[in-house]
Amino acid sequence: MPTEIYQKIAETNTWGAIAPELALAILALSLLVLEIVLPKVAHGVIPRVAILGQLGILAYVFTTTCAGTCVTGEAFGGMLSFDNTGQLFRMFFLVTSVFVSYLGMVSLENKTLPQVEYFHILLVITAALMLLAQASHFVMLFVALETATVGFYILVSYFRNQVVSLEAGLKYLIMGALSSTILLFGIVLLYGAGSNPALAGSSLDPLNFGNLGVFLSANSSDSLALIGMLLVISGVAFKIGAFPFQIWIPDVYQGAPTPTTALLAVASKGAGFAMLMRLADLFSPLGEWMYPLLSTLAVLTILFGNLAALTQRNLKRLLGLSGVSHAGFLLIGVVAARSVEWASTAVMFYLFAYLLASAAVFAVMVHLGKDDDSDLTLDDLGDLAHKNGFLGMALAVGIGSLAGIPPLAGFIGKLLIFVAAFEAELYGLLAVAVIGVVVSIYYYFGILKSAFFEVWRFQDDDEETPEEPVPGASLRFFGKVAIVLAVAGTIVLGFYQNPLSSLLGG
Amino acid sequence: MIGLEQYILVSSLLFAIGFFGILLRRNTLVMYMCLELMLNAANLGLIAFARYHGGMGGNLFVFFTITVAAAEVAVGLAIIVALFRKRQTVKVEELNALKN
Repeated sequence: MPTEIYQKIAETNTWGAIAPELALAILALSLLVLEIVLPKVAHGVIPRVAILGQLGILAYVFTTTCAGTCVTGEAFGGMLSFDNTGQLFRMFFLVTSVFVSYLGMVSLENKTLPQVEYFHILLVITAALMLLAQASHFVMLFVALETATVGFYILVSYFRNQVVSLEAGLKYLIMGALSSTILLFGIVLLYGAGSNPALAGSSLDPLNFGNLGVFLSANSSDSLALIGMLLVISGVAFKIGAFPFQIWIPDVYQGAPTPTTALLAVASKGAGFAMLMRLADLFSPLGEWMYPLLSTLAVLTILFGNLAALTQRNLKRLLGLSGVSHAGFLLIGVVAARSVEWASTAVMFYLFAYLLASAAVFAVMVHLGKDDDSDLTLDDLGDLAHKNGFLGMALAVGIGSLAGIPPLAGFIGKLLIFVAAFEAELYGLLAVAVIGVVVSIYYYFGILKSAFFEVWRFQDDDEETPEEPVPGASLRFFGKVAIVLAVAGTIVLGFYQNPLSSLLGG
Repeated sequence: MIGLEQYILVSSLLFAIGFFGILLRRNTLVMYMCLELMLNAANLGLIAFARYHGGMGGNLFVFFTITVAAAEVAVGLAIIVALFRKRQTVKVEELNALKN
């Protein structure tokens, strides 16, 4: 038995390089331990432990970015490869998860549901997504993706005493499992193509991105590999919600608990683009087929997302459909990255801007104080600005950034993508994107209109008016800090991009 | 003589049957079985490629997909059972609480 090869593989197991993921897993387990150890009255401290722990890990990731001494290159026998983008995605998922933990803390308060498991599963998902963004082997990619997806199934159907939540969970389950299976079958075909000893560049381990890249550049028109690429891209398109794979989005976003909707909107989309950017690199020898495919997806996604959102009154469905159109804009960035090198930086910037804006909007939504959050409509925002100016301000900044109003981060994100598309000479895509932005202004400002202007309501003096929920009643110090951070981040990144762009460029 | 092509043909057929099953069937449990069929189609493909092209990567991957499928079934059936307790049905067309 040749044992040297195993020794060689074991030597690449640099455990220190995945310290953030390990720390998250340990934190997740210790939450469960805390639930057993602590007396019941002290259980309120557990979400706070989760948030503080994540902030600690975030600080650690921040200090080990590639400006200084971070591990780069492959590790674990080619399973993972570390680079600056992976490090940024780690931060992206951690920040998302901190915000979602906070939203979960608010919306699970006063509910007769298990609390700790929500944070436990959230942390496991975050760790899996962080590994996913750094996977350089299809086995790693698939297992990390599935760890996250199975966690998502649970979080979507977490409010198990509500039919809508369970139904959304079931729909997400069927659609998510279908997309994973399509992705898996694509991987199988790529494996079959890349391991064929009769072809040039074949290898015994074609699931490794490096080996597969060598094979694909030697056989750029292998039909098996082409079908495999098509299936893999379709599987990823499901995750980011690109047309025609967006059918699950409105229903699942509406039925899921609001914190989970935020997680789906931001982390799931981020994970999809983390995969897509690595895969677009990998499949670039097949670019002749892949880039037209991605461009078509981008056009259809932008048009569908914006047009379907126009008539929507339900706030969560509206945000879901607007998220579809954001996925379209991001796809343009991925297509532009073919010829313009810095376009992937623009995609990252856009994702961070989207994260901050969504955090502000979803934070407002959990504080509206409505019990059943699945039928939150635009009317429920009525007079928000008068009832609670702070929340109204946060909503205005968040929606403004999503719409791309000039001094905010969302504008700069869109601008960078458009400039990249212009430099890459994608004029057709650019035209569609501009139309998409114009259309989106309509429904984004519809949200603001219902929050800032008085709504006339029929008043019957004889009948007792039902007690209206008070927006912001559940807002405490912690929440104010979280919202102020999201809003301030959105505004600061709009004026001053240096902190993020130095990270992105470093 | 059974060669690689035959295995891949069967695998693709299984995948297609599962895929159209999900599109056309209306019972959630049957749809779930179709998903399992698709996963097993992928497993068959992996093993056939690994056997005929040499190398162990495909065989190893199958262990992971089986584990993943088991996790998915555990969670999926739990959701279906919880929903059945609320609604007394697993038919897709009767699950219509979410709409515009």
